[in-house]
Amino acid sequence: MIFNEIFGAWIAVFFTLAIFSFLYKDNPFYKIAEHTFIGVSAGYWLSIGFWTIIQPNLLGRLWPSEGYSESSLWYNIYNIFNTLVPSIFPDGGIDKGHSMDLTYLIPFVLGMMMILSIFKRFSWMARWGIAYTVAIAAGLRAYGYLNSYILNQIKATIVPLANTGYPIFHISEPSLLNNLIILIGTITGLLYFFFSKEQTGNFGKLTRVGIYFLMISFGASFGFAVMGRISLLIGRFVDLITYSKAEHHHATLWILVIMVIILAYSAFMDSKKPKNDNI
Amino acid sequence: MNNISNFILKFTQVDRRWIFLIIGLSVLLPLFFPIGLPIRATATTQKVYDTFESLEPNSKVLLSCEYGPSTKPEIHPMVVALLHQLFREDHKVYVTCLWPDGQFMAAEALNEVAGLYNKVYGNDYVILGYKPGNEAVIKGMVRDLRAIFSTDVKNTKVDEIPMMEGVYKFEDFDFLFSASAGFPGSIEWMQYATDNTNVKMSTGTTSIMVNDIMPFVVSDQIQGILAGMPGAAEYEKLVGKPGIGTSGMDAQSLAHLVIVFFIIFGNIGYFIERNKTKKY
Repeated sequence: MIFNEIFGAWIAVFFTLAIFSFLYKDNPFYKIAEHTFIGVSAGYWLSIGFWTIIQPNLLGRLWPSEGYSESSLWYNIYNIFNTLVPSIFPDGGIDKGHSMDLTYLIPFVLGMMMILSIFKRFSWMARWGIAYTVAIAAGLRAYGYLNSYILNQIKATIVPLANTGYPIFHISEPSLLNNLIILIGTITGLLYFFFSKEQTGNFGKLTRVGIYFLMISFGASFGFAVMGRISLLIGRFVDLITYSKAEHHHATLWILVIMVIILAYSAFMDSKKPKNDNI
Repeated sequence: MNNISNFILKFTQVDRRWIFLIIGLSVLLPLFFPIGLPIRATATTQKVYDTFESLEPNSKVLLSCEYGPSTKPEIHPMVVALLHQLFREDHKVYVTCLWPDGQFMAAEALNEVAGLYNKVYGNDYVILGYKPGNEAVIKGMVRDLRAIFSTDVKNTKVDEIPMMEGVYKFEDFDFLFSASAGFPGSIEWMQYATDNTNVKMSTGTTSIMVNDIMPFVVSDQIQGILAGMPGAAEYEKLVGKPGIGTSGMDAQSLAHLVIVFFIIFGNIGYFIERNKTKKY
């Protein structure tokens, strides 16, 4: 087995056990893992964002290798960048399969304006980029939600009631009774969120039914959440078991033993310290 | 009776670290000593399987991987089992990713399975890779796939990839499977791609997402769902390739039993304590 794999296994085991050690109590191992994770995540996302969005999609469309010409003023500007940072601006233009599209100067300028928000004097400029992004997202999502969440869901709730081909009852397949339950659940659930009328009398009884449906839904969500967390725990345990074998030089066992000894020693030393009752 | 009540009350005040330890052991022990509890496919898992079985051979299947290492235990076994089924039926597999980690996960799954069926990169499967932009990528693929994916993950131009012949937009695919662990994922594919085209989709998701997706499965906007690790185990059984999903189910079941026991015990303790502190 190559060194990189073994080293990776030891690192993975250390961070897994360091995070698990929080279940005992907050300790330096956990802090190391937490801080490293946040730092690495930030660096990873910055790198991914640059090399998958800005370099190929933005710069690759402003200075594509297709149409590269040394005599053009536009590519002379590029060549200056090429001299400064050749890894981002390679010789002969950026070859990501794009043609030149100068409309991408608009997102380029908006992006620069957003970055300028770090200077107090120019912070107002960030609003333009943010406004553009929010407007695009709102417009894009409004249509998707209206179609998939509202129209199709209303259709699916109401239409099957008229389908006489369904059996009266079935435990898991569509049936007339199941469709009726879905309809009652939807209407009473919605009524619960109707606050313009006091929830008393018959209306109150209906909204009470809605609460029961909501509680069942929350219960199911909780159950699934627990199931998901247990699955992740299984995943980590499977890796820890794999890395405890000889080919990984018993990484799990070594790190576990060392960590337990250090935590036990730390607990022992803490117990000797005089307790401060003035707090 | 009083002794039992006192015992339960004392038990409910136990240090939470003992509970963590018991849960940990209930997960760990079955991994060393499997019980072999039976696995039966639920209707939603069976639907996913039947849908793929009903596809014509050589169908073009788009597999979108929206998950990473943090959700690998739940989603990855599904993808591996599905690839077995797709390659066995000689379908063409096109992989896209709305999450950057997805392409590494997809590459790992393909490395594991493709060779077993003598499948060749570029002819039988291709990883188009990750594209940032969330819903915008999906909408772009519906309009013009090649404007979004000009190259694959190996930087080969899509025009030069044999299996990309005739694939210009989302509707050129026969089916979509979204292996999804969150946003952007299955719901966005449904909203911006399948609800607006004739292409159908199925999904495999993390357990925590199941409740959000289930209404769309019931309304047939999504053709079946593989729900978390149990869904993966069921699919492995249907495909006949037991893997990590299957081996994890004993631990999953035992841990659930222990958690249910703690919930019941905790509630009994709560009611006893409430009755004891009632003044009137």
